[in-house]
Amino acid sequence: MQTDVKSKIGTFVGVAVILAWCLLPVVWIISLSFKSQEAVTNGSPGFFPSDGGGAGWQNYKDVLDNGQFRHAVFNSIGISLIATLLSVVIATLAAYAIARLDFKGKKFVLTTALVIAMFPVVSLVGPLFDMWRTFHLYDTWPGLIIPYMSFTLPLAIWTLSAFFREIPWEMEQAAQVDGATAWQAFRKVIVPLAAPGVFTAAILTFFFAWNDFVFGISLTSTEKARPIPAALSFFVGQDPFNRPASLLAAGAVVATVPIVVLVLFFQRKIVAGLTAGAVKG
Amino acid sequence: MAVRSVRRVVAGIAATALSASVLAACGSGSGGKASLNWYINPDGQVTLNKLAKDCSTDDYNIKIQLLPASATDQRTQLARRLAAKDSSTDLMSLDPVFVPEFANAKWLLPFEGEVADRVLDGVLDAPADIVQWDDKVVAAPQWANTQVLWYRKSLAEKAGLDMTQPVTWDQVIKAAADNGGTVGVQANKYEAYVVWINALIQGAGGNILDPATVEKGRDAKVTINSAAGKDAAAVIRELARSKAAQPDFSTSNEGTSLGSMFPAKGPGEFMTNWTFVYGNYKGLIGKPGGPKDEEGFGDLGWARYPQTVEGEESKPPIGGIEIGVGAYTKHPKFAQEAALCVTSDEAQSALAVNESFAPTRASVYDAPAVKKVFPADLLTLFRDSIDTGGPRPKSAYYSQISSAIQSRWHSPTSVGPGTPKKSASFLTAILKGKALL
Amino acid sequence: MTTYVQTAADDPDTAPRPPDSDRTRAENNLARKLVAPALILMLLVTAFPMLRALYLSMFDYSLTAPDDKEFVGFQNYATALSDWLFWRDTLTTVFIMIVTVAFELVIGFAFAMVMHKVIFARGVIRTSILIPYGVITVVSGFAWQFAFSYQNGFVNSWLPFIDTDFNWFAERNSSLIAIMASEIWKTTPFMSLLLLAGLAQVSNDMLEAAKVDGATWWQRLYKVILPNMRAAIMVAVLFRALDAYRIFDNIFVMTAGANKTESISFLTYRQVIEQFQLGIGSALSVLLFLSVLVVAFVIVKLFKVDLADARQEN
Repeated sequence: MQTDVKSKIGTFVGVAVILAWCLLPVVWIISLSFKSQEAVTNGSPGFFPSDGGGAGWQNYKDVLDNGQFRHAVFNSIGISLIATLLSVVIATLAAYAIARLDFKGKKFVLTTALVIAMFPVVSLVGPLFDMWRTFHLYDTWPGLIIPYMSFTLPLAIWTLSAFFREIPWEMEQAAQVDGATAWQAFRKVIVPLAAPGVFTAAILTFFFAWNDFVFGISLTSTEKARPIPAALSFFVGQDPFNRPASLLAAGAVVATVPIVVLVLFFQRKIVAGLTAGAVKG
Repeated sequence: MAVRSVRRVVAGIAATALSASVLAACGSGSGGKASLNWYINPDGQVTLNKLAKDCSTDDYNIKIQLLPASATDQRTQLARRLAAKDSSTDLMSLDPVFVPEFANAKWLLPFEGEVADRVLDGVLDAPADIVQWDDKVVAAPQWANTQVLWYRKSLAEKAGLDMTQPVTWDQVIKAAADNGGTVGVQANKYEAYVVWINALIQGAGGNILDPATVEKGRDAKVTINSAAGKDAAAVIRELARSKAAQPDFSTSNEGTSLGSMFPAKGPGEFMTNWTFVYGNYKGLIGKPGGPKDEEGFGDLGWARYPQTVEGEESKPPIGGIEIGVGAYTKHPKFAQEAALCVTSDEAQSALAVNESFAPTRASVYDAPAVKKVFPADLLTLFRDSIDTGGPRPKSAYYSQISSAIQSRWHSPTSVGPGTPKKSASFLTAILKGKALL
Repeated sequence: MTTYVQTAADDPDTAPRPPDSDRTRAENNLARKLVAPALILMLLVTAFPMLRALYLSMFDYSLTAPDDKEFVGFQNYATALSDWLFWRDTLTTVFIMIVTVAFELVIGFAFAMVMHKVIFARGVIRTSILIPYGVITVVSGFAWQFAFSYQNGFVNSWLPFIDTDFNWFAERNSSLIAIMASEIWKTTPFMSLLLLAGLAQVSNDMLEAAKVDGATWWQRLYKVILPNMRAAIMVAVLFRALDAYRIFDNIFVMTAGANKTESISFLTYRQVIEQFQLGIGSALSVLLFLSVLVVAFVIVKLFKVDLADARQEN
């Protein structure tokens, strides 16, 4: 049928467009990271490095040699992991209660989480700075981890309670009837069922912590606690007056690699987590 | 029920996380020798690193901490640390315009008595004035900066401009436009644009704020709405409408116009820029963005900053770096000693030779090493420009003043005869705390 | 920032129950204990600083002149609200919000349709579509800033009718286009995933029936697909709009607010962090928070977004 062929071609074109949309800027930043810094300073328009304007791996070497950037990578990994861990653990308790138990104020908890997730983070920066300088939390890891809770916790609570509600909790009782102890029933039945959800929530939470910029630039001032996005925005190259585009691009690629790896491995789960509960499906 | 064990796990994880972060937060302690942190700007890093090493003693090590590239960001980073009463901010490189604000907030440890005398010993008037606030010496001048007019001799010749005589902005813009050249300035929405505006206004005999009241902070008198202000606006307007404006005119900075001096095609440019330009092109001979060879480099000319009004002596901008000692440092004596060391004659000479930064002490201009690197007339030009240049308003509210100017004078393409008046009323409102920046 | 809608916690059918038995009381107690840490922490990191902001906003308080701290009542609010800059930045923010969400909705819907239909390479497409979502906003800002740069980018040479030395960041409109391009690129995938989930709910039987009745593709789209997805679309719009209203990262990286591209978040940030005006900055923080509530309220009322409907409870 003609319409069938037409719609097939349409779909095919659509797929091509989606792939181009998603990957072109990523390919661009990779391509840019191979332009030499001299070429960039003098202007080197075009998608690919010009003849003689290529840098090989030099930008990557320079970026990884840069002590400030290495610190930033370390900070970002550490801070994001701790923030993720804390919020997922605390959110798991809350989500379990929301999904499994009947109690007054359930709606209040969820509404609070929703409102807080919508909170403009910039609003928090001023008072937090003023408080942190008196508590000596300014420019420290905890000084970032604590405010990160304002967006990682609600996110984790919503995702987890959506997942937990899908868990057939009766199976726990069934296992106990079959002679398993409460602990065995929990470990053998509930943990395997809940683990994927917890894991997905953790990945999404990690994404958010990794992406933070407002707190990162406002509540730090040295490599002691500065995370990657803030470090990138302050990046300085050979030419102190202009952003070292290609060096930055190399740094950006390095900062994006962990995310791409996570996406590659856990694509299915992340999609499920992102849309969890938005609509049942 | 599993809740109890979950709770234990939670407690365990939280404890681990906290201890990890606490460890990370205080990992920098080292035994014995004191460690002084010196916050530096990105320009001149190589030499500054060497200075830090050379000025470290048996009592202390100087450790370099890099600040971001823009002056605004540098100020923000330092001020936030000091507002938090940070004791690890021992030494800091300060842009001159931020000295009053930092001193007024009592964030700088003043040099006193004999040490103060050593700081000011032999220093040129303009840089010496910058580091004094409330009759105290609050920082040590490390190097001075000034802008001159850099140009291609061949371009000026083609235009028939006599560069031995003072030239005006109008002449420069017309000469470039009529001969396929361009004029490089700094007109992005940032500090150096205010440098340009201030120099233009002072060049016409005016001031942004009345110099007699400028140190009174919020009560300073705003004088930007004057004939001089209008003359300055006219120059910006002329360049904005001229063929000589570069394509990135309204986002231009000190780096963007460097490439237009020795372009692949075209006769080059006139450019007002800081002293580092000389060393920059010298290092780029035979490389992309630089002159083709020694002969090409010989085509690079320099002259005094252009006049705003014909016949009125220009007021070249003054910049540079002052070394401040943090008020909350744990090692005040060591830090002041280190500040003297990194601003010594030898240090200034090294900065001049390696980085093309002009010295603040008169004697360094006569040092053989410095004389060997710079042509004699260029050294004289630098020194004269610094001696007779014009500083930006010396106010504790400078950063607000600067932002207010930027907000009304940017984009440069929108500048017109009404701009000085608009910026005057806005600046007044800002100083009185009656408007948002 | 993203958020999630989910089935109501308290199902209506479980609502009527006998007065407090021991069991329900125990359950209530346990639940409170489990929920308490999360609730307390969330309030501690938001409500507490917000109250502090409310307090600080009553003062003329600059960090660079801490000794001059002075109580001024609501004067900071009066200054902010009577300043054109505040309204201009609010308008800019609303403009960015409307344009980006509109584009994201249309493009995201098209993507969702394609993904819904496609049988081959599903994994590849879904992985790719997650990449913009995962890329740091700051990195996206850089990628697009450099792409639009006439010195090092490719946009000028790829677009016809654009001079190769056209400077996108020289004036307001073109700067806003660049900023919005980055914003739209990064967030459209999230929109399309939400819409894809909504699309999956449109019953195939209804579509087939419409087809048999001779409805054209457009008719099916307008009469069957869109009405049935209404709830999903509205929820996606609400979340993206509130997120777009807080735009900060892209503006910071790409223009730093030059050429009147400043958003309301950026204005607040500048007062607090760059100018150290904690007094008026706190007043702006409070106003920013209130304006987010207003935007949320307007969207919910205007489009009659029903979260419960989205969860298919009605």
